[in-house]
Amino acid sequence: MSIPKEAYQTLQSIVGPEWVSDDPAICEADRYCSLSDPTDEKRRPGCSIEPSSTDEVQAIVKVANRYKLPFVVTSTFYSSGTYARKENSILIDLKRMNKLEIDEKNQYAIVEPGVTFSALQADLFKMGLCTFVPGCGGQASVVANTVNMGDAPIGWRHGLGYQRLLGVEWVLPEGDILKMGSLSNANDFFWGEGPGPDLRGLLRGCAGHQSKLGIITRIGVKVFPFISEELEPSGWSYHTTMMLPTNRFKWYNIRFYSHEDIINAMFEIGRCEIALVVMTVPPIFRGVARSRGVGCGGFWEYWKEAGPKLARKQEDLRVLLYGIGSDKRLEYEEKVLLDIVKDFNGSAREAPCQDETNFMAADAICANVVGGRFASEVSYESINQATRYSKEVDKITDAHRPPILQEYNTTDWICPYELGYVAKMECLRMAAAEDNYALQEWKRDVEVVCAERGAYALVPNSDVFGPVWGNYPEKEDKIRAAFDPNHVSSPE
Amino acid sequence: MQIKQKLTKIVGAANVSDDPGALLSYSRDCSLSTPRMPNYIARPKNTEEVQAVIKLANESGVPVVPCSSGIHFYGNTIPNMGGIVLDMRRMNKILDVDLDNKMVRVEPGVTWGQLQAETAKYKMMGLGPLLPHPLKSVLTSHLEREPMLIPKFEYAGSMVTVEVVFADGQAFRTGSACVPGFPDKSMAEGVNPGGPGYLSYQWLVQGAQGTMGVVTWAKVKMAPKPRIDKTFFIPFEQLDDAVQMVYSIQRRMIGEECLILNDVNLAAILAKKWPADYENLKRVLAPWTVILVSGGGWRRPEEKIEYEEDGLREAAAELHIPELPTSLPGLPGIERELPGILRNAWPEKKPYWKFAAKGASQDVFFYTTMDRASEFTQVLSQVAAESGYCIDDIGVYVQPMEYGRSCHFECSFPYNPNNGDEVAIVSNLYAEAAETALGLGGYFSRPYGIIADMVYERAGGYSAAMKKVKKILDPNNIMSPGRLCF
Amino acid sequence: MLKVEEYKHQASTCVRCSYCKMVDLNWVKSSRFSRQCPIDVRYRYNLYSGHGLLHAALAELDGKLDFTPKLMDALWHCTLCGGCDIRCKRNLDVEVLQVIETLRCRCVEQGNTLPEHKMLAANVKKSHNIYGAAHGTRFKWMPKDVKPAAKADILYFVGDPSCYRHPEIAQATVTLLSKAGIKFMVLKDEWSSGHELFATAQLELAKEMAEHNIQAIKNSGVKTVITSDAEAYKTLKVDYPKILEKSTEDMPYTVLHITEYIDQLMQDGKIKFNRKVAMKVTYHDPCNLGRLADPWYHWEPKYESPNIAVGKKWRRGYDGIYEPPRNILKGIRGIELIEMDRHHDNAWCCGYGGGVGVAFPDDAMWTAGERTEEAQLTGAEAIVSCCPNCKDILGQAAEADSTGMKVYDITEVMLRAIR
Repeated sequence: MSIPKEAYQTLQSIVGPEWVSDDPAICEADRYCSLSDPTDEKRRPGCSIEPSSTDEVQAIVKVANRYKLPFVVTSTFYSSGTYARKENSILIDLKRMNKLEIDEKNQYAIVEPGVTFSALQADLFKMGLCTFVPGCGGQASVVANTVNMGDAPIGWRHGLGYQRLLGVEWVLPEGDILKMGSLSNANDFFWGEGPGPDLRGLLRGCAGHQSKLGIITRIGVKVFPFISEELEPSGWSYHTTMMLPTNRFKWYNIRFYSHEDIINAMFEIGRCEIALVVMTVPPIFRGVARSRGVGCGGFWEYWKEAGPKLARKQEDLRVLLYGIGSDKRLEYEEKVLLDIVKDFNGSAREAPCQDETNFMAADAICANVVGGRFASEVSYESINQATRYSKEVDKITDAHRPPILQEYNTTDWICPYELGYVAKMECLRMAAAEDNYALQEWKRDVEVVCAERGAYALVPNSDVFGPVWGNYPEKEDKIRAAFDPNHVSSPE
Repeated sequence: MQIKQKLTKIVGAANVSDDPGALLSYSRDCSLSTPRMPNYIARPKNTEEVQAVIKLANESGVPVVPCSSGIHFYGNTIPNMGGIVLDMRRMNKILDVDLDNKMVRVEPGVTWGQLQAETAKYKMMGLGPLLPHPLKSVLTSHLEREPMLIPKFEYAGSMVTVEVVFADGQAFRTGSACVPGFPDKSMAEGVNPGGPGYLSYQWLVQGAQGTMGVVTWAKVKMAPKPRIDKTFFIPFEQLDDAVQMVYSIQRRMIGEECLILNDVNLAAILAKKWPADYENLKRVLAPWTVILVSGGGWRRPEEKIEYEEDGLREAAAELHIPELPTSLPGLPGIERELPGILRNAWPEKKPYWKFAAKGASQDVFFYTTMDRASEFTQVLSQVAAESGYCIDDIGVYVQPMEYGRSCHFECSFPYNPNNGDEVAIVSNLYAEAAETALGLGGYFSRPYGIIADMVYERAGGYSAAMKKVKKILDPNNIMSPGRLCF
Repeated sequence: MLKVEEYKHQASTCVRCSYCKMVDLNWVKSSRFSRQCPIDVRYRYNLYSGHGLLHAALAELDGKLDFTPKLMDALWHCTLCGGCDIRCKRNLDVEVLQVIETLRCRCVEQGNTLPEHKMLAANVKKSHNIYGAAHGTRFKWMPKDVKPAAKADILYFVGDPSCYRHPEIAQATVTLLSKAGIKFMVLKDEWSSGHELFATAQLELAKEMAEHNIQAIKNSGVKTVITSDAEAYKTLKVDYPKILEKSTEDMPYTVLHITEYIDQLMQDGKIKFNRKVAMKVTYHDPCNLGRLADPWYHWEPKYESPNIAVGKKWRRGYDGIYEPPRNILKGIRGIELIEMDRHHDNAWCCGYGGGVGVAFPDDAMWTAGERTEEAQLTGAEAIVSCCPNCKDILGQAAEADSTGMKVYDITEVMLRAIR
């Protein structure tokens, strides 16, 4: 089976023959994306197409509907769900759509899906602005990441990913264009809500629908005030870092007697509204940092050796103080932080004023450093839930070890956002490549227990969570049926 | 059984009414919208009663229009097609104060005064709009997405999760409040607004003017109340200059409440004796005032204010602003009072500031970017003048949003509701001003009444998508029919 | 060429993060120049990238994919610049370049050599250089006033491009050495380094070149070989030991690029640039001198769970020659050196390498055009590089885009700076 000839010719006429291909090699290279469920079958798409404009995307989607051909969307392949599950899928690769416009004064950018975070960030830095680059890495697409997830540690100060969405241009599954927020009326991207009920509610929930409801072709995305001083990169490709100006930033690693103290200190830092980044640092992060520059294999070598020693050390609290605008502000933040540390009997150590993971996010720990030999379950709720969730997950992990490897104390990471209003907890578990099945079993067990105990997970398994979460999949199904009657938008 | 009997069975006889006198008060509001009588008023006391009323309405094909406040300004609770007005004011409990997460869970009838009094006990404050009416419901403000006074957050609204009764009678909890056992027996604490799944339901409910469902409680954010404050009143002759100052302040990420008011609005807010103070203040105040409250944090408050003041001075120097006054002419001590005024509802005993001058006011508001505020002021003033309205009476309020990324721009046109000529002028002016602003790129994110028609006519794709969603959530169109584009 | 097990291991380790397409993220200076891989930027399909080729390699190995026209197109359009390889080695450590090279070998083994590449081999067989020029004219460029020594401690390996296409580089090099009073010799029977043969996976003949040149160097008695040709440099340093399953340190010679050698002389005070050269320049790092120039370490694959490569020494692109050319330029009075957005290990390829310049001159020109545009935006008036083919293609691109940007080899600049 292949894409019908007539459909293929129509696709060629839309984008030009050079930008659509059914060559098996082109399609094979588009079979997989990152971080996807290894148990899911990934099919080679029937063709791959590279549109250059919204009009072309719209025309492609209409062809897909006319011929009942499923389509899947990608822009960097650094995604967890955009792979063809059905025969004869059209893989729509949006990386040619890479226009970027920045409204410096009003602090927003208009981006197409081909724009990566690092590209946007580099241009913003020159204007004394910044965006936040997700932990998965600056090579991710701004559009894809923001409509799907979009969170990063500087969200401590600058909020959650979904809040960054302003005006949105969206090609719906049948090919109609939906313009949202100020784009609907004012032909500009500066505001995201409405008009009236906010249909960004269709665009994403806790996470996005990963092209199951059409294709986002342009978004307005918030950018943030930043320091005017330059961040200087330093070092060689395997071991580069970003030097932070010492009059504007200060990193602290803080050790407390107990996890409870860490949590209470976090809440208090939130109440005092200081810092750009606040997060826990499980010992594995220290392992990653210390093995930086020796790659994935080097990490495992180091981890094997140093892990048992790190097990005696518990997680730290890591705080990036932020003196935007003045030295005095940095001094103020430091005094407040040290007061809090004292009140909670912690000990604070200043850490080097540099960064590898927040401003350009060059190190994606989960995916890259451990070389894909991991699985994670992510809770997305309060700081309190994070702690409770971690304990539950620990119990479940013990039942799967071996072959799940030792975490050495903890590999669970709490990254709170919005000055502590909400927090992500990422529970990372590792196993050798041949033991991947154990990680999948572990994931299933975690989901079942969390559904019973009322925990909120980032990407819920609807079979497990649906029945206890108000039967939400029923609503999703109705929405999909209404918007995608031909069932062509990334069907499962 | 008749509808009334069924309603009586659900909420009790004392909480159902079809008395014409009672119905009349729900048929109109403070706006110029056309009145329309409801058939029944029902006052539920809990979610179960709301569910039962909605089920009844759905089965009987009778419209349901929820309202939570004791006062309404935009015509959005007038039952355009009759039916049952669901008056939620009996549900007025503050369900819990969650100090760890800095959130509070409120029922629809909770007013701003009630909320701020409660939060103050914990040295916290609700994040509210500019001087809400004492009868205004907190939930309504959030559902309507009224702009907050503090632009230092990356969110324009502070509503997090809700329980919403949809047309089928299901009480659906949004975001992480959906988990079993919430709030007492769950790990989750209802603080994540997204989901469940890949939809965000509270977004679909907000701005819906009661067309998607009835919210029975909402969890909303609080913020720590500054220990001390220092208030600046920076006067400007030109709005453009005031806007530049606000851009500069917000780029430095300093301050708590930050807004621009013209002399008319500021005088109306600060006048104690009417009309003498009001008239006098209008004379002595600068045409435009940037109000900035620098709040000392929970720790070392003086030091926080010190660096913020330094930043403010730096911004002022860059823009060649010679002084940063901390007082207003003729209003001794106002700098100490103002933070408290801004962090509370309008006092019950004083005439509401928007109505004090003439008895009523019609507002035209929309979002734009701050650099266009001056242009809109001029254009709308011109429209007003051409409509025969005295432009000296226009109140202007520019609320920077989210670090000044955009602003809520609001022109108020006070008028005497008992003067037919004035009513006619303002009525025409309202339509004309909205049409003009819309044409120039003003964005009406929450369109009411006739503005909704103008907005959705221009947003065909959006209306079509919204209708699909509405069809799913309210297949019989019983929730506030005739509103928006439904 | 990787052995099958290792080839499969490497290709299947990719987690599809797409970092292989990017400039090191901390070094991204602009959205315009944030990407690293020329075929990715030009052809966009995922197949045209390290990531895509890894997946194609795996499918081809598993018998799920043939060498389709597009696969060969992507494979042969790759300039083997190595950007993908060192980017991956920030974290994940996949040998992306070795997988691509091995895929090329498998392609050639199945009879899929491009005609232009076959011609290179034919020429080399005929006359020991890739151009098919008479072997006897290899040193025709030698200036009359320069006399290489019959025996010296230093041997200048010239390479085909400087012998036959850009003799001005060879002439500048020997004149410079001569003016500096350095006694050097050349290999009378120098053959093509085989660089293009290695790149185009014609390994049998490439090996023949390696064995001949190594033997000739041995016969000359020198221990230190210098070259002004970045391609020859990398070939002698990396490809020769690699094909002989040795490590660079086991070779009977040490190879230095001319810039390393002169930089050392500068530091030792043995050479002085005493003439002012008033010029704003930007420096283009040749891939073969930069990120591809780490020494070769021979390694027999051995793994421990979960993913420890036992005893392996990694080539991550940091042992290349980055600073010596810059030191030289900075040491010349009047020269103002301005970096492009992408420099050092992040430099954008000139477009010529990997056999692309020979088989797809338009593509090479496009890639070079991207570079000249980047150079022009620095405000520099000239691009300086260290490789004849970089000079060649960048020069052509500068001429075509009418920017007036001049392109020099660093030896020419050095010669102007010395009395």
